[in-house]
Amino acid sequence: MFLTRSEYDRGVNTFSPEGRLFQVEYALEAIKLGIGVQCEEGVVLAVEKRLTSPLLEPSSIQKVVEIDYHLICALSGLVADARTIIDHARIETQNHRFNYNEPMGVESCVQSICDLALRFGENRNSGEERMSRPFGVALLIAGIDEKGPSLYYSDPSGTFTQFHAKAIGAGSEGAQTTLQEKYSKTLTIAECQKLALTTLKQVMEEAITTTNVELAVITKADQKFKIYNKEELATVIQTLE
Amino acid sequence: METLKLSALPEKDKQQPISHGRFEAYVDNGGTVLAVAGKDYCVIAGDTRMSDGGYGIQTRKYTKIFQLTKKCVLATSGMQADTIALQKRLKSMLESFEKEHGKPMSTPAIAQFLSNTLYYKRFFPYYTFNLVAGVDEQGEGWIWTYDAVGSHERVKYSSQGSGNQLVIPLLDNQVAKFNQQIVEGNKDVSCEQVVSFVKDSITSAGERDIYTGDFADIVVVDKNGVHWEKFELKLD
Repeated sequence: MFLTRSEYDRGVNTFSPEGRLFQVEYALEAIKLGIGVQCEEGVVLAVEKRLTSPLLEPSSIQKVVEIDYHLICALSGLVADARTIIDHARIETQNHRFNYNEPMGVESCVQSICDLALRFGENRNSGEERMSRPFGVALLIAGIDEKGPSLYYSDPSGTFTQFHAKAIGAGSEGAQTTLQEKYSKTLTIAECQKLALTTLKQVMEEAITTTNVELAVITKADQKFKIYNKEELATVIQTLE
Repeated sequence: METLKLSALPEKDKQQPISHGRFEAYVDNGGTVLAVAGKDYCVIAGDTRMSDGGYGIQTRKYTKIFQLTKKCVLATSGMQADTIALQKRLKSMLESFEKEHGKPMSTPAIAQFLSNTLYYKRFFPYYTFNLVAGVDEQGEGWIWTYDAVGSHERVKYSSQGSGNQLVIPLLDNQVAKFNQQIVEGNKDVSCEQVVSFVKDSITSAGERDIYTGDFADIVVVDKNGVHWEKFELKLD
């Protein structure tokens, strides 16, 4: 894809002759691995934490974050960029509660995130805070609303798509194939957890441990997210073969 | 040479500063609205008289009830101009909500939103006294009753407007069964019974309150939608 790199890869407001925005495509490359699986009972998010050094404190990396009680988000890519997006999403969901005294719909939240993701470029109006480049982050947003549990994927271009199961980031092609083979709409939430972790395990370079993955679920029964702690994670990892 | 004399104008011709009547931002156009919520329905009534703030009647056919969604209506007494401004504002906000979120605003959400809308004009309020009536997501009937600046409460029955003081004791006694020695077993009354009772209530208010009369809109909200009925009151 980068063989055609030319002067078109510098600005975000010039399409290449093939109709591509290279800055956006570079941002897409900055993504690491995350997996989301949705079923009737709920949604599961699993993310790999790459621990680059044994001296690194694993708990300082957080890749699944809360947006609201009923909405969580797995990040992959430039975490600093993601923070801007998460802040925005948290404000939007809280505003919704303030205005309407009810939780925000999942799709509406994803839409508002993507509106922000699209606000980049060089045509700055005075006073407007704006990114000069696209956000280098892809998100898996899991949530629950009156339509039931759902899983969305949003990429740096500001596009969003709903999925039953989705793998993002480095090595996601293999993971997506695995998900496609093993996914069925009748999975239980426990099976979804297992599917997400086994898929993650396949593509991870290191062995799966309680420190290098993060797992979170939202179930229909609870209507609230839960990020697994080490002990809970250990019991789930034990069930893998 | 004689100098040019500028003589002052005679005292009596001296122009007095023009005095205007003070600008009055508000007028109370009167009227009564009331609503009773049942298990899976709501009955709302409002008269259609619009008074000029005194003995005069400006129109006999001004409806105080406004349909917001298929599950919710707004009944407003107070100043007609503010009522219309509020209705227009809510209507446009409801439409943009539906486009943004892909679903109509739920009745409890409307209730909260109206409170915010009123409070945003805390220091130059809409001179309106509102009732939001409708069915919630579970299909249960509810009323939200407001003051002019957005204080609100979710209740099973309420009334607002010039006939409020006349209607409230009636509702307390007949709907909440206050001060009754013998209360018959079943408290779940049918929609037809409530409609007939609500008609009696607004007729009674019209008897004693000069700002209530002419006609009444009787509106029923249930899972099938909003049904309107016209009802005659006294024209005097």
